[in-house]
Amino acid sequence: MKLSSLRYLIKEGLRNIWQNRFMAIASIAVLVACLLLSGLAYLVYANVEHAFDWLYGQNVVVVFAETDQTDEQVTAIGEQLRGMENIDSVEFMSKEDMLARYGDSLPETTYSSLQDENNPLPDAYIVALKDLTIFEQTVTEIQAIGGVDEASYDGNIASTLLTVRRVVLVVGAWMVILLLVVSLFIIANTIKLTVYNRRLEIYIMRSVGATGAFIRIPFMVEGMTLGLLSGGVSYGIVWFLYSQLLKNFPTTASLFTLVPFRDVWLILLIGFLGIGMLTGMFGSIIATGKYLHKEGSEKA
Amino acid sequence: MIEFRGVYKKYGNGTEALRDVNIHIDDGEFVFIVGESGAGKSTFLKLIMHEETATAGEVIVNNFRFSKLKRRDIPYLRRTMGIVFQDFRLINTMTVYENVAFAMRVTGATRREIRRRVPYILQLVGLQNHARHYPPELSGGEQQRVGLARALVNNPALIIADEPTGNVDPERARDIVELLTEINRRGATVLMVTHEHSLVRQFSQRTITIKDGTVVSDTQNETPPDGMSPLQPAKQPVMLGGDQL
Repeated sequence: MKLSSLRYLIKEGLRNIWQNRFMAIASIAVLVACLLLSGLAYLVYANVEHAFDWLYGQNVVVVFAETDQTDEQVTAIGEQLRGMENIDSVEFMSKEDMLARYGDSLPETTYSSLQDENNPLPDAYIVALKDLTIFEQTVTEIQAIGGVDEASYDGNIASTLLTVRRVVLVVGAWMVILLLVVSLFIIANTIKLTVYNRRLEIYIMRSVGATGAFIRIPFMVEGMTLGLLSGGVSYGIVWFLYSQLLKNFPTTASLFTLVPFRDVWLILLIGFLGIGMLTGMFGSIIATGKYLHKEGSEKA
Repeated sequence: MIEFRGVYKKYGNGTEALRDVNIHIDDGEFVFIVGESGAGKSTFLKLIMHEETATAGEVIVNNFRFSKLKRRDIPYLRRTMGIVFQDFRLINTMTVYENVAFAMRVTGATRREIRRRVPYILQLVGLQNHARHYPPELSGGEQQRVGLARALVNNPALIIADEPTGNVDPERARDIVELLTEINRRGATVLMVTHEHSLVRQFSQRTITIKDGTVVSDTQNETPPDGMSPLQPAKQPVMLGGDQL
């Protein structure tokens, strides 16, 4: 296709939008609403993942050796722990370290009397896990190691977050699919209206021998522009609202810290523009396909 | 060249529009297609334009054999023909110039080609002074000449005129047929559907009569009554420059 023809077709697509501007605004509004809900689903998911990341750093299991274990036996427990697949890091904490760490809360005399042979604490390992989804299974495996007295952990947060993530994933995915279908329907209907308004031009174009692509491209330009505009507007709104939200949440690392915008902006931008553009493109294919394929259907 | 070989057309609702139609029209002929309303004239044209497909038989137009025609070839078939409609089918939001240029633009012509060709065609149909007017500002006859200019602008080998005089007064109707005759004289095949017998008599040309979906007569070059010549000069200037369109 010649460059001048392409320029003409793009201009025609933009003219379609202008001539049908009220419908275009309405469809952009609906598309923006759909994209915002999809963006919300993504942001919830991203924040749950963010909480997981924090939890990975925090969620450690303290593995206590039985008190009658010799140094060699304790070292062997450490080796076995390091050999396990789901273990990220293993840090040894001797009973002396343990006493030093928790001794501050004891009266001075009690603390002194618990030194050396009188130290009742066991040697321990502080173990960080790689995959929290198999948390329970890993703890069971650790407890099965000979010489391990107890593996102390708090699995509640992990299991709650896992449930949240599962729900967010399933609900979010269905929501996004549903919204995509709605967006397609909206765009297709807007373009159908343009096709209807321009049926005389389309008929003349066909009767003088315009190719299918030549007829279709302006409508694709129209759909893709509507999609891109919707994507841009949605991104702007999300950027503004999320920035406001970030101001009201703690900035120091905790379970309730929001994922920073710099970590999600690119995915949001590409997602919004990409989904907008593709929806526009397929919407216009649906709208024009039905109308243009039928022989003799182009009566003015 | 147009050829119909044993063509049948039956619509989905059971209407049999054409039955065993056999027609051969050579390049450069001028043919009137006449018949009552509902006789099958429109279906005949729709088959030529490939807006409808034959139920049985073979249609060949300008070397395109329809039984072997692929969808992607249809635009190229249509570029070999120019169509003039009874209701003009002009775009009212475009000027006369734009209406004609539009037909060139959509077949991929460059701006330069359009700038060179459109004024020439407008002059040919006598509308050079109306280039900036919008169709509603013109009379029926003038609007039909815009339609004719649009049909001619891509220099097609075949002009199909579907009741082109149906919406213009008798005097202007004669001008339109004069123009079509002139176009034919310059080499284009012209197929004109009409039910105005006075025009058919006035312009002595081959006449095919369709009745109830079949060809009932095919007469060659009837002599016009009253000694009227079909090539009498038109009221409007129709011929400018050389012989080529």
